Amino acid sequence: MTTFLQNVIAGIETGSLYALAALGVVLIYRVSSVTNFAQGEMAMLSSFVAYTLWKNLSFIMGGGDLTYIVAFIGALIFAMLFGYLVERIFIRPALRGSLVGKMIITLGLIMIVNGTARAIFGTDTHAMRRAITRPSFYIGNLLIRPNAYFIIFLTLIIMFILFYLIRNTIFGVAIRATAENETTARLMGIPTKKISSASWIIATVLGAIAGILIAPATNVHTNMMADVHLKSFIAAVLGGFTSFVGPVIGGLIIGIMDNLVGYYISSKWRTVIVYGFLILILVIKPAGLFGKVTRKKV
Amino acid sequence: MAGLNSDIKTASKSSILKRRPGSYVIVGMIFLLIPIINLINPIFAHSTMTLLNRVVIFSIAALGFNILLGYSGQVSLGHGAFMGLGAYISAYLTMRLELPFLLALFLAGVIPMILGIGLGLVALRLERLYLAIATLGLGVTIQHVFLEWTEFTNGHAGLRRIPIPSILGFSFRQREYYLIMSTIILVCLAIFAYNFIHSKTGRALVAMRDSEHASQAMGISLFRYKLIAFSLSTFYVGIAGSLYAHLFRYIEPGTWGAELSLDLLAMVVIGGIASIGGSIVGAAFIQVLPRVMQNVPLLRGISNINFILTGIALILVIIYFPQGIIRQFVKLWNKLTYKKSVSK
Repeated sequence: MTTFLQNVIAGIETGSLYALAALGVVLIYRVSSVTNFAQGEMAMLSSFVAYTLWKNLSFIMGGGDLTYIVAFIGALIFAMLFGYLVERIFIRPALRGSLVGKMIITLGLIMIVNGTARAIFGTDTHAMRRAITRPSFYIGNLLIRPNAYFIIFLTLIIMFILFYLIRNTIFGVAIRATAENETTARLMGIPTKKISSASWIIATVLGAIAGILIAPATNVHTNMMADVHLKSFIAAVLGGFTSFVGPVIGGLIIGIMDNLVGYYISSKWRTVIVYGFLILILVIKPAGLFGKVTRKKV
Repeated sequence: MAGLNSDIKTASKSSILKRRPGSYVIVGMIFLLIPIINLINPIFAHSTMTLLNRVVIFSIAALGFNILLGYSGQVSLGHGAFMGLGAYISAYLTMRLELPFLLALFLAGVIPMILGIGLGLVALRLERLYLAIATLGLGVTIQHVFLEWTEFTNGHAGLRRIPIPSILGFSFRQREYYLIMSTIILVCLAIFAYNFIHSKTGRALVAMRDSEHASQAMGISLFRYKLIAFSLSTFYVGIAGSLYAHLFRYIEPGTWGAELSLDLLAMVVIGGIASIGGSIVGAAFIQVLPRVMQNVPLLRGISNINFILTGIALILVIIYFPQGIIRQFVKLWNKLTYKKSVSK
C-alpha cells in the first residue's frame, strides 16, 4: 500500500509538471490557433539559462538557496523575453497564414532552438540542483520527499493564479474572447495582438518552470524535454484542447499512470504503453475528457 | 488553410507537374550520365557519389512525404521512424531470412504501409492536429522499440554488414551502379506518383485539401482518401529506408528520430509543396547543404549549423514563398523566356 501511495505521489509530482507544460500548449492553441511543437525545446533553453546562471552565480554568491532563487527568476525573465520575441518574429508575420503553415513554423523553431542550444551549450549532460535540497525522511513507512511536495504546491499556486487571471480579470475576459473568435474580439476593441503576445509569454514561462523543476530528474541536456514534451501533448489530448481545466487533469492522470506502469509493469516499455494509451483515448474520446466536439460551419 | 492553398492553386498552372511523365524519364536518363561517365573515367570522388546516392534516396522519401503534406494537407512527425522501419525490415529480411533484395525492398515498403494504415484508421478521423501528435508519439515509440528489441535491431550497437544488394546475380557494390539502380527506382516512383495524383483519387485529394466541406458535399469520403495518402506516403518512405540501409550497410536507432522527420518536412516545404520536382529539389538542398557549409570559413566552427539553417530556411520559405523554391525558379524562367520573345 505504501509503495502504491509513493508511486501516486511521485506521479502527481511529474504529472503537475506535465500539466504546466500542457497548459502552455493549450493557451497558445486557444489564443493564436497555433499548435506549438517547439514548447519543449523553448523550455529546454530556459532550463539551460537557469543552469548556467546558477553555476556561474555559485562562484560569486556561494551555493546557497538565494543563488538558486536568483537563477530561477533570471531564467523566467529570459523566458518572458524569449516568448515575446518568438511571437513577434516568427508567429506574427504568419498571422494570416494557414493553420498547417503556422504549425510548420513551430517545427522549424524546434530546429533553430535545438541547434542553437547544442551550438552554445554542447551535448554534455549537467546535473541540476533540486528546488528543496532538504533530505528525504520517513513518516512511518512513507518516504517523504520535500522537493516533491514543494513542486506540487508550487504548481498548484501557479495554476490558481492562472485560473484566477483567466476567470476573474478583464485580461482573462480578453483572452477568452480572443480564443473564441479573434476577429470579433478585435472589432470589440480588444488588442488581440497584445493578447497573443501575452499568451506566448505566459506559455513560455509555464514551460520554463516545468523545465527547471524537472531538470534534477532528467538532468540538463539538449534532449531533456523530448519525453516531457510528448507527455504534455498527450495530457492536452486527454484533457481536450478546448478547455483549460482538462489539460491539468490530463497531466495528473498521465503522470500517475506513467509512474504506476513504470513500477508495476515495465520501466523499459512505459513510454510505449503510455503512448498506446494516447491511441486508446483517440479512439474512445476523440475530443478529450473535457473537450467539446466543435462543428465548423461553412 | 486558405492562404497556402490558393498559392498552390495558382502556381500549379505553370508548374512542371503539368508536363508528361516522359520528362521524368528524360531528366533521369540525363542524370544517369553522371555515374556512367564516372564509371568509364572517374571524375567525381567516392564521397560525391555517396552524396548523389543520398540525394536520390531522400528524394524518394520526400516524394512520399509530399503526397501526404502537399496533397492531403496533413503533417506527420513520424516519417523518420517509418523510414527506419523500412531500413530494419529490409536488413533483417536479407540478413537473417536471406530473402532476395527486390522482395525485401518491396516488403520494406509494404510493412510500414500496413502500420500506417493501422495508425491512420485511428488518428485520421480527427482534426489535422491529431495526426501530428499521434505520429510524434509513434516516432518516439518506434525509436524506443529499435533500442529495446535487440533480437531484431541489435539495439544501440546497430546492425552491421547488411548485404550488398544484388539482382539476378548482379551485385551493386560500386556507388555508381547503386546510383543507377536507385535513380531508376526514383523515376518509377515519380511516374507512379504523377499518375496517382492525376487519377480519381488524386483529384479527390486535391479537392479535399482545398476545401474539406465542399469536397464532402460532393460525396468524397475525407477519411478514406486521407488514409490512402497517408499509407502511400509510408510506403515510399519505407522503400527509401531500405535503399539507405543497403547503401551504407550499417544502421543504428539514432538516425531515425524526430530530426529526420523534421528534415523530411523541410525538404518538402523548401522544395515545393504539392510538386514532384519540388520534392527532389528540396531533398537535394537539404543533403547538399552540409557539404557547402563545410567550406564556409566563419560558420564552419558552429556545430549543428545545418540544422539551424534548415530551420531558418523552412520558416522563411513558409512565410515568404509558401509555394517553395521550385516554383520561384519556374516563375523566373517564365519571365526570362517571356522577355526574350517580346524583344524579338
